[in-house]
Amino acid sequence: MTDIGNGPKIVFELFDGKIQVTETVVMGWLIIAVVLLLCLWLTKDLKKIPEKKRQVLAEMFVNFVNDMVRQNMGEKLMCYAPYIGALLISAVLGALISLVGLRSMTADINVTATWALMTFILITFHKIKANGIGGYFKGFAKPVAFILPLNLISEVATPASMAFRLFGNVAGGMVITGLLYGCLGALSSALHLSFEMGSWAFNVFQVGIPAVLSIYFDLFSGCIQAYIFSMLTMVNVGAAAEEP
Amino acid sequence: MVLAAGDVTDFLSVNLTTIIATWLNLLILFLVLKHFLFDRVNKVIESRKNEVANTYKEADEAKENARRLEAEYDSRISGAKEESAQIIQAATKKAQQRSDEIISDAKREAKGIAEQSRVEIEREKKIAVNKIKDDIADIAFSAAQAVIEKDFNSKDNEKLIEQFIDNVGEV
Repeated sequence: MTDIGNGPKIVFELFDGKIQVTETVVMGWLIIAVVLLLCLWLTKDLKKIPEKKRQVLAEMFVNFVNDMVRQNMGEKLMCYAPYIGALLISAVLGALISLVGLRSMTADINVTATWALMTFILITFHKIKANGIGGYFKGFAKPVAFILPLNLISEVATPASMAFRLFGNVAGGMVITGLLYGCLGALSSALHLSFEMGSWAFNVFQVGIPAVLSIYFDLFSGCIQAYIFSMLTMVNVGAAAEEP
Repeated sequence: MVLAAGDVTDFLSVNLTTIIATWLNLLILFLVLKHFLFDRVNKVIESRKNEVANTYKEADEAKENARRLEAEYDSRISGAKEESAQIIQAATKKAQQRSDEIISDAKREAKGIAEQSRVEIEREKKIAVNKIKDDIADIAFSAAQAVIEKDFNSKDNEKLIEQFIDNVGEV
């Protein structure tokens, strides 16, 4: 169990190792491919009066995201609905691919940090758009001047906390699940219930028991954290756009 | 440390390639969702919403139309009732007038007939009286002739007889 506390594997390199493509990026491509195929399938011959279940499914998802964006960001930022949908799908699928034995995409700090940075850029963009560039910088010294450092910290803390929350939850779940697997493997060996087949070993206790924890860490935590990340993005960007 | 393919990175390592690739992936996913899911589904939902709104509008219009027609017919029916009552009244009045006319005509005619009859009767009576007078004169004349057995002067006789008859008439 050497990979418990490790980052993603490097899948291939380009330009003499200058560009190292890791598992995370490959998972991202996989998700894009899956989502693209899913979208094409779901939106095949859409009708005014839905005839197929897949159209109802597609409309349910779109309406869910649209309603969320409308409630949290307002009607005039509805153009962000596909972006929020993309975040939500990436985060949920990125966590759920661990169920099929692949490495969670969101268990890589680079991914969550990129998304959080994107949120930070959007927040700053909307603040400047709403207040003007002067108003944006003056806004840090409000309501009193000495609060400036605190405001600066909170401005940076928003994306940082978002990045680490998502990363921590998924990576933590991955580590704990890994530890549990190791633990159960050791227990199986100790009780002579481990059957080795070459390099691969079948450990009796590894069947079933980790699934219970996996339901929490991979399914529940993954979905909830994805939802929280999207929600925070919407609320923060929406609030930035509304500031007088 | 130089890493090669198949190696694992550190748990919290920062990898610029991953960052850029993730950003691009997010962008691509955004575009995919926008073009292949949101735009399409939103269009369908929008068109359906419009159709529903249209249907409701049409239904409201039809309802309004029906209500208007109903009111119109109601007023028309009540107007017709009034009109028919008027027609009946007028007809009754006309009939009354006509009957009055007929009755008065009949009365006048009857009166005329009665008058004529009276005149006729009077005339008849006069004729009859004259005839009786003549008859009596003849009888008296023959009676006198018989009594006297003598031919009088016709003129004297007649005067005498006239006198006699007048006396008789007064009696």
